Amino acid sequence: MVKTKKWIALLATLTLFGALFVGCSNTKSSESSTKAPTGSEVDASKSTDKPVDGGTLTFSSFSDIVSINPIYVDNSASSDAARFVMANLYDLDRKGNLVAEPWSLAAAPLEVSADGKTYTVKLKKEAKWSDGQPVTADDVIFTINTFRDPKAGSPGIGQFDKVDKLDKVDDQTIKITLKQVFAPFQYSLFNQLIPYHVLKDVKPEQLKDNPYGKDPAKTVTNGAWKWTEWKQKQYLTFDKDPNYWGQKPHIDKVVYKIYADQNTEVSALIKGDTDLIQAIPVTQIEAVKKKSGISVLLAPGPLYEYVAFNFKPENFPDKFVPFTGQKTRQAIATALNRQGMIDNILKGTGTKLNAPFLPGTWADPGSAVTEYKYDPAAAKKLLAEDGWVAGSDGILTKDGHRFSFELQYNAGNSRRQQVAAVIQQNLKEVGIEVTPKAIDFSSWADNNLTPGKFPAVLLSWSLNNPDPDGEQTFSSKYFPPTGQNMGWYKNDKLDKLWVEGYSTVDQAERKKIYEEVGKEISTDLPYVFLYQYGQPEGLGPRVKYAEADAPEASLPYGYFFHIQNWWVTQ
Amino acid sequence: MTEYFIRRVLQSILVLFLITLITFGLIHAAPGGPTKIFLAPGLSQEAAKIQAHNLGLDQPVAVQYIKWVGGLLKGDLGYTFKNHLPVGQILWPTVGNTVVLMGVAWLLSLLIAVPWGIYNSTKEYGLSDQTASFVSYVGFAMPTFWFGILLQEMFALNLDWLPLSDMWTMGKEGNIGNLFMHLILPVTVLTLGFLAAYSKYARSSMLEVLEQDYIRTARAKGVKERRVIFRHALRNALIPIITVLGLDLPILVGGAALTESVFNWPGMGRLFIDMAVAREYSVLMAITLITAVVVIIGNLIADILYAVVDPRVQLGKGGRSA
Repeated sequence: MVKTKKWIALLATLTLFGALFVGCSNTKSSESSTKAPTGSEVDASKSTDKPVDGGTLTFSSFSDIVSINPIYVDNSASSDAARFVMANLYDLDRKGNLVAEPWSLAAAPLEVSADGKTYTVKLKKEAKWSDGQPVTADDVIFTINTFRDPKAGSPGIGQFDKVDKLDKVDDQTIKITLKQVFAPFQYSLFNQLIPYHVLKDVKPEQLKDNPYGKDPAKTVTNGAWKWTEWKQKQYLTFDKDPNYWGQKPHIDKVVYKIYADQNTEVSALIKGDTDLIQAIPVTQIEAVKKKSGISVLLAPGPLYEYVAFNFKPENFPDKFVPFTGQKTRQAIATALNRQGMIDNILKGTGTKLNAPFLPGTWADPGSAVTEYKYDPAAAKKLLAEDGWVAGSDGILTKDGHRFSFELQYNAGNSRRQQVAAVIQQNLKEVGIEVTPKAIDFSSWADNNLTPGKFPAVLLSWSLNNPDPDGEQTFSSKYFPPTGQNMGWYKNDKLDKLWVEGYSTVDQAERKKIYEEVGKEISTDLPYVFLYQYGQPEGLGPRVKYAEADAPEASLPYGYFFHIQNWWVTQ
Repeated sequence: MTEYFIRRVLQSILVLFLITLITFGLIHAAPGGPTKIFLAPGLSQEAAKIQAHNLGLDQPVAVQYIKWVGGLLKGDLGYTFKNHLPVGQILWPTVGNTVVLMGVAWLLSLLIAVPWGIYNSTKEYGLSDQTASFVSYVGFAMPTFWFGILLQEMFALNLDWLPLSDMWTMGKEGNIGNLFMHLILPVTVLTLGFLAAYSKYARSSMLEVLEQDYIRTARAKGVKERRVIFRHALRNALIPIITVLGLDLPILVGGAALTESVFNWPGMGRLFIDMAVAREYSVLMAITLITAVVVIIGNLIADILYAVVDPRVQLGKGGRSA
């Protein structure tokens, strides 16, 4: 699963404790860069000064790392830390394209063969590990083989399941051959490497227990900074590596500080104890904005929220699925005041969406999708056309079944709690009875989401990959409990389109296919897509960068976009 | 006394065993176990099985428990599932940090609350007593995290006199002055909470004793009031206070998760929450064990202190007074 979209992850993001497991592997989201509707409010002074070398940048998070060994990075804390000490094979540009930046290990853009099955990776000759050894083809092959080995237990295993063979052409060149054409594969190479010369004798099943990735002294790296300290639950430090093979960064020392919760983090930003926080709770945005010198970046990120319907009769009393009619689902979409949710609950940090493609990405089907404007009267009409009639209590009925269902979400997530209440209210106005129900996340995942047993859920996907492929979420090949199509949705046309979408590497052709997908999915509505939303980033007054290096909220880890070029003032 | 002590220790071991057994079972019965959380969603069924096997999670709970106890007897608290770090390495520093924070707050509140409560019992409904009542109401009613945030807002952000959070400023670890500055706000919050309870206990238990016949007798004999209070009343009044203190002792290690969170104190309360969310059974078990040990020790100390302050209490001879 290249596109590891995980609700597990995602949900946890927003629970009380806020552990951010979001971004597994590495690949990430889309490229809505310039599209961000709520413009970033970066103050102009950020770009006027000349870069200075030296100084310390402190950024914070509310969870500790697990391991920065790229094979095992499955949460954003570890991934954030790894970014400072590990160079990526390829990086993403602001649009989400895979590129070889000066700080990437790759020397040139990824080459794809005419048949779309063979990828050639060329490494930079000068790239070195922190112990002085060169980064070679052996490292790339060893890394991919370790990811693929079930014994190693990597959460990123699915990224490389389409790989057929790996060939070392020379020390700097690797050929990767896939079993089939699979366009999203390129993003699996937006990844970091492990050193073959250090770990080659470690058995795959023991790699997880190896100090590599956990003990700074035993973690050989290849990035601009090196890992110098880890005080568990308190902080990590990264110091500029004097032997780094590329152009040295401006910032001397980076401190990754761990706070107990988001509110404490916000206070620390205001006090100046930290310079960068990745997620300001929406309720605190106004307070933070009032403090001089602090910039708040509001652009939404690579996440979207939705209401998913269940289509399996066993999940309803009398085995009657109220959502069977397409017009009924369209009526629900029409009855929901999504803009109202964005304005009032998200405080403007969101954008409406109608298909599972982030607005502004190359695959965004734009006007090809069916739009749903908030219109209760139109919704009522659609419901009547689908055979629903008002019962004596005002609730619609059809063939003797009342239109009443339970909407589940995870307890402790205050945003979803509010949104669920709005949904309840909106649908009540058109004669549908909704009972919102909050459930503890782990039991919810275990008892409802994984086995696909629920009437309807309010949930999010984090698109941790810039590729639009969504087969694993919507195709009937991926039914529960092993697949992610948890609502048992089946649409033959879409099933076929998803396969077509990844079976060619020609982006223009793919774009056409995803337009078709967008049209079909927004009309048929396996979900009601609500909005893309984000986590407002906060930057203290000391942090400076040129406009070209500004953070990019829509990208995975975009809060550190081009951080090699940032600098701090004293 | 020695016999009593040995018997108590043996009983305690049995109790500890039962506590760990029950906790182990409960933790494993909770939904969303480690196989769900640790095994990443991207893993295939086959890969998931290999991982569960490597972690020993494919064995029956009973076998896992016996292995855990076996390790414990050798002094091995086990490793975290997620990244195979020794539990002790994560746990012990947080225990120390919590003891520092809670110990200071607890001692400070004792030093204030007990004398204050005694004084107030002699001047019932005086200004000092009214003040104590007010402080108690505030202490009981105000959520600690909220009081903490108020103090931070005022003293760390607006006035900028004190550090906002953490135990040390980075690079100043071990500097006592630095620690002291970091302690002021969280200790204030915690002390207010303790003070509310302890001053009430001290006052009411003194008042109860002061109404006893022997106090009247002492006063009738013409014993000086100071001597009545300290010699006759206090020792008897201390018994219920000691009970409360003994039962509260586990707070010293259990910590106050909320206060630790607000002040970002790297203590055990916070660790427990993090580890519960992450389903790190071995860390949770270790914390439970430590807490249970302290609870038992706290009770034992309280029982022994009864005998010290009140000669009528005879340990190990059945029936105790008070």
